[in-house]
Amino acid sequence: MIEVNGLGKKFGELKVLNDVSLNVERGDVFGIVGHSGAGKSTLLRCLNGLEGYSEGSVRVMGQEVCELDPKGLKELRKEMGMIFQNFNLMNRKNVYENIMFPLEVWGVPKKEAEERVKELLELVGLTEKKNEKVRNLSGGQKQRIGIARALALKPKILLCDEATSALDPKTTISILDLLMDINVKLGVTIIVVTHQMEVVKMVCNKVVILDGGRVVASGDADNLFLAPGEELRKLITDDYAVIPSGTNIRLMFPREIANESIITRMARELDIDFSVVGGRIERYRDTVMGFLIINVSDAELEKVIVWLKDNGMFWEVMKNAE
Amino acid sequence: MLNELIFALWETLYMIALSTLFSGIFGFAVAIVMILTGTNGLRPNRAVYSVLNIAVNLLRSFPFIILMIAIIPLTRLIAGTSIGSTASIVPLTIAATPFVARLMEGSLLEVDPGVVEAAKSFGAGDMQIVFGVMVKEAMPSIVLNWAVVAINLLGYSAMAGVVGGGGLGDLAIKYGYNRFQTDVMIYSVAILIVIVQLIQSVGNKVYEKIK
Ligand SMILES: Nc1ncnc2c1ncn2[C@@H]1O[C@H](COP(=O)(O)OP(=O)(O)OP(=O)(O)O)[C@@H](O)[C@H]1O
Ligand SMILES: [Mg+2]
Repeated sequence: MIEVNGLGKKFGELKVLNDVSLNVERGDVFGIVGHSGAGKSTLLRCLNGLEGYSEGSVRVMGQEVCELDPKGLKELRKEMGMIFQNFNLMNRKNVYENIMFPLEVWGVPKKEAEERVKELLELVGLTEKKNEKVRNLSGGQKQRIGIARALALKPKILLCDEATSALDPKTTISILDLLMDINVKLGVTIIVVTHQMEVVKMVCNKVVILDGGRVVASGDADNLFLAPGEELRKLITDDYAVIPSGTNIRLMFPREIANESIITRMARELDIDFSVVGGRIERYRDTVMGFLIINVSDAELEKVIVWLKDNGMFWEVMKNAE
Repeated sequence: MLNELIFALWETLYMIALSTLFSGIFGFAVAIVMILTGTNGLRPNRAVYSVLNIAVNLLRSFPFIILMIAIIPLTRLIAGTSIGSTASIVPLTIAATPFVARLMEGSLLEVDPGVVEAAKSFGAGDMQIVFGVMVKEAMPSIVLNWAVVAINLLGYSAMAGVVGGGGLGDLAIKYGYNRFQTDVMIYSVAILIVIVQLIQSVGNKVYEKIK
């Protein structure tokens, strides 16, 4: 649905995107993650032509974005809704008028437009607030209006630029649930730009990691989290102090074995003791995954590793020094 | 004396109403072009922007009294005469237009670029963005600036007496200052004060209402 190949973009002398390639398929929830200034927003803005580019190619639904004339670009944007960190709603319009605006811009007949707004208000659960001034709403409610507005023209793709970064954790989850609903029920392909790993874990099926304008890792979200490389590790910060003696092993639990009592089985079968340093079970897109950090004495390390290999576990030895 | 005061009040209101209206229209048009062609505008055009920018600065640096005298031929051409309150609407409009343009430009620049970007993201055209988003969002600030302009024009209009423009300011100078009729001067000034208060409070009321 979206193919980006060798994309390069400069602001003056500053090279913001460098040889970026990615491939988004219909129905994906595609994550673009990276630190502040990595070029995530710029990449996203290249997709709907808000930003031009000098190198490479961006093809959205078969069209090269930078070759579109103004009319073609408008048509493309009609197919691509966008939501923002700061919501970017019009303060002088009320909830209803904000959602109505894209429909007015496109000259949708009044009757039809009113129907559409009603549907959208229901979808985002703000029907009672329709005459409210935008300024009187909470952040989460504002983002819901942002989402409704972005969906007004029935786009096939929804671009989200840090859509939950200004929200508290609970509200973030409710917005992410809404996005998932939109993805699953309406079949909208979603691109999520964020620096919050939690967001990626909860909704994305594919991820690219951007650093300094380059893609440093990409793949299915599950795999990236089960076997995180250097780059991902930089973004996931565990706040567990590891035990300095012995060896700390991080075990990753994919969906199939997350619920099994694998650890106690290992202890029983090997007849060893180990201590638990820390761990977490997390809710992912449509599954539960977790990790557990255990500390094994050097004498038993070999045995444990062999057992882990035999049982097809995902694991890694953690570096102690730090 | 009462008749003269009433007549002067009428002249003043006539001058500032029409010059506020005309300078509002012209200044607004100039501001829109400046917003479109500015560096971060929707259709950046350095040449057009620079010309307007310089023209605005130039016109604003003329002292009103000099401007008024300098453009007498133009005034005669447009108004058919160079004296009287109708004639003084010409210099008042010309003096206020660049002022309005600058204030409006400021109001429009204050509009959150994010909102403009959002409008772009669903395919709004440049004109839809300028009028449907920027002007709409900037309206409260435009209204406040409108009050500033009207009050400024009230001050300018007092000088229009020099070309026989009439009005309260003229009356105050003619009777109060030149003929030592202090009461006329005091009444004129008092009425001017009331008008300023009125304009400002209408501006504030409307602002509160639409913001
Ligand atoms: N219009 C612009 N002109 C010049 N430089 C820009 C412009 N927009 C972005 N940049 C620069 O490009 C780089 C990438 O910016 P971008 O906004 O894409 O980062 P980001 O990954 O979205 O960061 P954040 O998480 O803070 O939003 C930054 O160094 C930024 O300063
Ligand atoms: Mg960004």
